[in-house]
Amino acid sequence: MIKAGQIEKGTALLIKGQPFLCIEREFVNPGKGSAFVRLKLKSPATGQTLSETMKSQDNAEDITIEDRDFQYLYNDGENFSFMNTENYEQIEVPMKSFDGYEFLMKEGESYRITMWEDQVLDIQIPSKVVYVVTETEDAARGDTVQGVTKDAVLETGLKIRVPGFIKQGEKVRVNTETKEYLERVNG
Amino acid sequence: MFDFSIERKRSELYMNIRKFFLERGYLEVFTPTLSDSLIPEPTIKNFETTFINEFLTQRKLYLIPSPEIFMKRMIANGSGSIFQISQCFRNAEQLGSLHNPEFSMLEYYSMDFDEEDSIALTIEMLRETAIKDSEKAIKEDPIIMSVRDAILEYSHFDLDKAQQIEAIREIAKEKGHVLPEGESWDDTFNRIFITDVEPNLPNGRPVILKDYPKQIECLAAKKNDFYRARWEMYINGMEIANCYKEETDKRRAREYYEKEYAKLKEERKISKEVIPDADFSFCDIDMRPSSGVAIGLDRLLMAETGKTDIEEVLPFSFRKMLNV
Repeated sequence: MIKAGQIEKGTALLIKGQPFLCIEREFVNPGKGSAFVRLKLKSPATGQTLSETMKSQDNAEDITIEDRDFQYLYNDGENFSFMNTENYEQIEVPMKSFDGYEFLMKEGESYRITMWEDQVLDIQIPSKVVYVVTETEDAARGDTVQGVTKDAVLETGLKIRVPGFIKQGEKVRVNTETKEYLERVNG
Repeated sequence: MFDFSIERKRSELYMNIRKFFLERGYLEVFTPTLSDSLIPEPTIKNFETTFINEFLTQRKLYLIPSPEIFMKRMIANGSGSIFQISQCFRNAEQLGSLHNPEFSMLEYYSMDFDEEDSIALTIEMLRETAIKDSEKAIKEDPIIMSVRDAILEYSHFDLDKAQQIEAIREIAKEKGHVLPEGESWDDTFNRIFITDVEPNLPNGRPVILKDYPKQIECLAAKKNDFYRARWEMYINGMEIANCYKEETDKRRAREYYEKEYAKLKEERKISKEVIPDADFSFCDIDMRPSSGVAIGLDRLLMAETGKTDIEEVLPFSFRKMLNV
């Protein structure tokens, strides 16, 4: 337990059983009466944000979260399997908590996972990732001019639009938030 | 780096304020910054120091959080209308964009005024003391609304119908607030007010909120069964001014002092010598009808110059001094 007045940006809290991170904190002292803090909290698991007003003397349940490195092994359609790269322990994470992540994570690759005790709060995917194009039609002659795009499937199964000049087997850099093509990567 | 243009604007603002009050016959007063007594506000923490003299017993002294008590004693002793610009100190407050433990305060008391007269005077003062050559200077007059109307507008319930502790607790819980057992009415009210009202007040134009709930104890006179003759002014979401029609009923003033000092003594485990005149005889003075206003001048200067961080108007802010 900590006093609400001690909460800082980055403090992890348990609110109604759910872990939240403080992303903004502001102190408010009314002209008369006790001091308050106005907090903006974000759930790393769902992205949901909350605003809370607490008296500085109110108790808040703080929790310790940490980042650990895991290797992504595979998914079985229900769970992602990861292996802790330090102690080789395996964990399973329900796929429905991280919708669409199977199209972003590469098997065998390491990912940083934010954990609270044994609960996975966040899987950190870099904002730009290089993928191999596994399927795309060869552009018809004349369609390689700038501005013309076509469908492509990447090694993870992610479907995106790429420029006409991209060939099967080539590497592309992708923005993992917008799932948009950024550039061709040579080599 | 010092921004001397801000220093020049502060100097101009203070000069305009002095001129404004002197022209209207107010007496400028100078009361102590170092005091032997605490003000009756248990939520304010003080800076304390020790008075040492080889012939006298050591005494604890406090930097004033407000010159209120001294100025009220002057009024009671026939000073007439008075004003003062003083440095005030509040300990244990946060070092944020709106708080510095040492700050500058303007306090003025007008004889035979009620809180409505103080609104008129304050609007006139803001208009006449506005800094020239500052694009941001406050040009528009405040929007005036009652606390009840503000709650109705921004929090959607009728404060008249939430006078009992059970009623306001019910409303707060419905809004998702977690309330400790035994929380006072005013703390619960403040939770709602800070969450729903304060952040939604209009920006760019001063707002005066008047008629504060009677449950928030202070030395403002009663206005009716539910509310006190007290208002606060906000500019750009910053609380800038606080005003009372001063309590003249000796019995009520004594009750207030006794209650607040009892809380203070209990919370701080302090003895009675911190109370001005331990027998409370000072509350038996005849307080003459008047209205007092306190204005935070650093924040007013921020509003006048369009700054959003108090540090921008304080060349030696605490944050700079302590490098935090």
